[in-house]
Amino acid sequence: MLKHDIVVVGAGLAGQRAALAAARAGHDVALVSKLHPLRSHSGAAQGGINAAVGKEDSVETHIYDTVKGSDYLGDQDAIEFFCQQAGPTVIEMEHFGTIFSRSDDGSLARRAFGGAGFPRTIYAADRTGLALLQGIYEHLGTETIRIYEEWFLLSVVVRDGRVQGISAFDRRTLKVEGIAAKAVILATGPFGRIYGRTTNAHSCTGDGVAAAYRAGAALKDMEFVQFHPTALMESSILITEGARGEGGILKNVNGERFMARYAPHVLDLASRDVVSRAIVTEVKEGRGFPGGFVHLELMHLGKEKIESRLQEICDFSRTYAGVDPVTEPIPVYPAQHYMMGGISTNMKGEASIPGLYAAGEAACVSIHGANRLGGNSLLETLVFGKQAGLAAAEFVASAPDTEIRAEDLEKETAHIQQLWNRTEGESPRALRTELQQTMDQLVGIYRTPEELFRALRQVRALQERYRNVRVIDRSTTYNIDLTDALEVGNLLTLAEIIVVGAIARTESRGAHTRLDFPARDDKSWMKHTLAHWTVNGPELSYAPVAYTRWEPKERVY
Amino acid sequence: MFADEKLITVPFDVYRYDPAHGGEPRYQHYELRLAPHTPILTGLLRIRDEMDPTLTLRYSCRSAICGSCAMLVNSKSRLACHTPVGPEVKEHGRIVVDPMRNQPILRDLVVDQQPFWSRYEKMEPHLILDPKHPMPEGQTTAMSPAQVERFKETPRCISCAACFSACPAVEADPAFPGPMALAKLYRFVVDPRDTAQTHRLQKIQTEGLWLCLRCHLCTEACPKDVRPSERIRDLKELAVQAQGGTEAGSRHAIGFLHNIEERGTLNELKLVRQTSGIGGLAASLPQGVRIWRKKPELTQSPPPIEGLDQVKKIYSTLKDDKSEES
Ligand SMILES: Cc1cc2nc3c(=O)[nH]c(=O)nc-3n(C[C@H](O)[C@H](O)[C@H](O)COP(=O)(O)OP(=O)(O)OC[C@H]3O[C@@H](n4cnc5c(N)ncnc54)[C@H](O)[C@@H]3O)c2cc1C
Ligand code: SF4
Ligand code: SF4
Ligand code: FES
Repeated sequence: MLKHDIVVVGAGLAGQRAALAAARAGHDVALVSKLHPLRSHSGAAQGGINAAVGKEDSVETHIYDTVKGSDYLGDQDAIEFFCQQAGPTVIEMEHFGTIFSRSDDGSLARRAFGGAGFPRTIYAADRTGLALLQGIYEHLGTETIRIYEEWFLLSVVVRDGRVQGISAFDRRTLKVEGIAAKAVILATGPFGRIYGRTTNAHSCTGDGVAAAYRAGAALKDMEFVQFHPTALMESSILITEGARGEGGILKNVNGERFMARYAPHVLDLASRDVVSRAIVTEVKEGRGFPGGFVHLELMHLGKEKIESRLQEICDFSRTYAGVDPVTEPIPVYPAQHYMMGGISTNMKGEASIPGLYAAGEAACVSIHGANRLGGNSLLETLVFGKQAGLAAAEFVASAPDTEIRAEDLEKETAHIQQLWNRTEGESPRALRTELQQTMDQLVGIYRTPEELFRALRQVRALQERYRNVRVIDRSTTYNIDLTDALEVGNLLTLAEIIVVGAIARTESRGAHTRLDFPARDDKSWMKHTLAHWTVNGPELSYAPVAYTRWEPKERVY
Repeated sequence: MFADEKLITVPFDVYRYDPAHGGEPRYQHYELRLAPHTPILTGLLRIRDEMDPTLTLRYSCRSAICGSCAMLVNSKSRLACHTPVGPEVKEHGRIVVDPMRNQPILRDLVVDQQPFWSRYEKMEPHLILDPKHPMPEGQTTAMSPAQVERFKETPRCISCAACFSACPAVEADPAFPGPMALAKLYRFVVDPRDTAQTHRLQKIQTEGLWLCLRCHLCTEACPKDVRPSERIRDLKELAVQAQGGTEAGSRHAIGFLHNIEERGTLNELKLVRQTSGIGGLAASLPQGVRIWRKKPELTQSPPPIEGLDQVKKIYSTLKDDKSEES
């Protein structure tokens, strides 16, 4: 049996930071990832990472902006800690080797991001995620950490009320193995592939979140789904907020800078939920371009600035949309981008099962509340990745041994056998497409009870059909037909929780906009949604929001 | 915008190999109707969705940033998600897709990247600090925009290994670190925070720096414009400045031969264009990569190829060419 003190699942920024912290504390750490660490989706982050390091800026305003951005659903104690850690975290990454862009005086260059009082987003051109991922991976190489590269997590093993380890398989052999650990840190990233129109990579399927849920852990605030205002038409590839931070502006078919009507003060740099709603409204009311989109104009910034600061954006627009941002506007429309919800943890990354930790986008602390600010989630991966690593290290120092028994793997191997043995049945990809259509159409930016209930019926029908899913590929080497099937199962599990949470929350807050309850309702709804697995579907309960100093106010930008 | 593009018929011939099924490699034909701008990855995923879920490849981001989907597209190392079908069909009439070279094939288009990563790791790819000069406490290292500029495009590298797949020196000599590893090394050598410049330059002198053939195939293959061959040239210059060069690489020129299959590329190279008679030679070379790709194990030891003398001539000409800019 494979055995380590701590197993970290997921090797994006959060997982690598957690592994580093745990290894530094002197423990035997394993890092399990279905992709090579450098292929994790963190690498796709473009715009930057927030830290109030500028002279005119302050940690205090960063805290305030984050609280306000969260629409008062973020836990204020966690947000305070988070923003205080921002400066040291960025400095640490710089020392690890990350190459950030600089200003003329040699300090870190900063750009403006939506919902922020000052230009506070530190960046590496428009590939900040890649720069951070490289920096931490290079540094991680100096530690002895066992990396299970291209291993796929199946389940978190819980027995006697505590975590015993995980089950997983090597994608090259398909052999299911138990990996015993005293603590498991889940850092498996987002699950944007529940939607068809998403900026997320194909691999963002929430496997860890679903595994935690099945193991009995609580998930938090799953109904809050962020839509990024500017994704390319057709491919939904992200055009970073940094493009507006550098001065890009949105225009409708009449050539009008429409954000002036929705956010007169900050215009195109209003918070993401505000800009996304504005674009959808423009298109709905007939002021979009034929085909249903608006324009993002960068032309006025000049070739030099566009090509040096927004290099990737130029490439993406040219390759994937056939437009040259130097001379033409970019066609954009909102797409799913970020999941505020995830495995419920406290500030130390502890989930609701002893020995289980989570960090990064898979987790929900919550610092983003109902709406995440751009640039805050890269920071979150590092700040809370480290916290989870430290907390797990502390926990295992005094925790008794764990073991994985043959029966702990039975359920997972049986499930794979069933998928494998079925000679008739549906394709997992067909179910995935239907799920994505359902979520795109019915669980988007504006939500109505009719549509949500329809979505719930459809998702449950798909779950039913999932029992009949079949894997056609017979190979034991790198069988992506099988991983597709497992991933679709996870997407279906998580989609239901999103919809159930959205139906229950009869208010509008942050990214959750109910047309039948257009106002925020602090009296009844200033609380976190918790979801637990039961045989009959998710069971919801609620938990209070941690307050320190900021009274809820109306959010105007 | 692409809005009014007409669909075209795209014939795919995809390399298939599964060790579990007798291990006989073959090509499988598929046809799709696609808009010309459609990335090849989208086409391959549609094949999986609609026709054949056993077709196996690596992919994730679909936006040329995770480095998962490098493969051979009509014999050239490319990212599938960053290469549109239209121009390929126009030029070649179809799209032949093979797994990358210089890495053993695991299955279909999925290769074992160990050779690529292990050479990268040999570069000591992390900042080496001198305890006497610690990082500035509580602040970032001051670095001017000009210093950041010195990294050139190396931070854009997504470790896709397209360059590694295209590199004839990698194929010819297991001691050669490969273009990406050397571009990474360059990145550390010019990093003002790193304190091991001399050590790094010294070490690489005997660990393969001079084995590079300056063919620029890596630069041609790189989807992120890292221009590894130019970074290798920069490294050589730095190495010479630091302690004098040891040009011993030329005897490896023959290794270059095996990659002439990327001959379309070769024709485009300015260097090569300057040399007379090359177009004719390239055209007369054997029918390309597919012949020896039939058996995956052959990636390790390609069979002899005709036209050796002429190829040798090219490389000695190249070697004498002093103008490295391209
Ligand atoms: C296009 C884009 C741009 C963004 N830009 C910004 C930005 O500018 N600023 C900002 O702050 N945020 C940005 N974000 C958000 C931010 O990038 C993410 O929230 C963050 O990177 C998530 O990191 P992570 O470590 O939690 O997960 P990931 O980086 O997604 O890593 C997940 C890891 O889990 C592994 N994994 C998943 N499932 C399994 C399994 N079953 N078994 C084993 N391993 C598994 C994967 O292999 C991977 O290593 C952006 C997001 C997107 C999509
Ligand atoms: S120039 Fe040619 S030999 Fe040198 S690294 Fe590039 S591909 Fe390899
Ligand atoms: S140098 Fe270019 S081709 Fe080579 S691995 Fe990096 S991005 Fe890929
Ligand atoms: S799928 Fe990520 S680089 Fe092509």
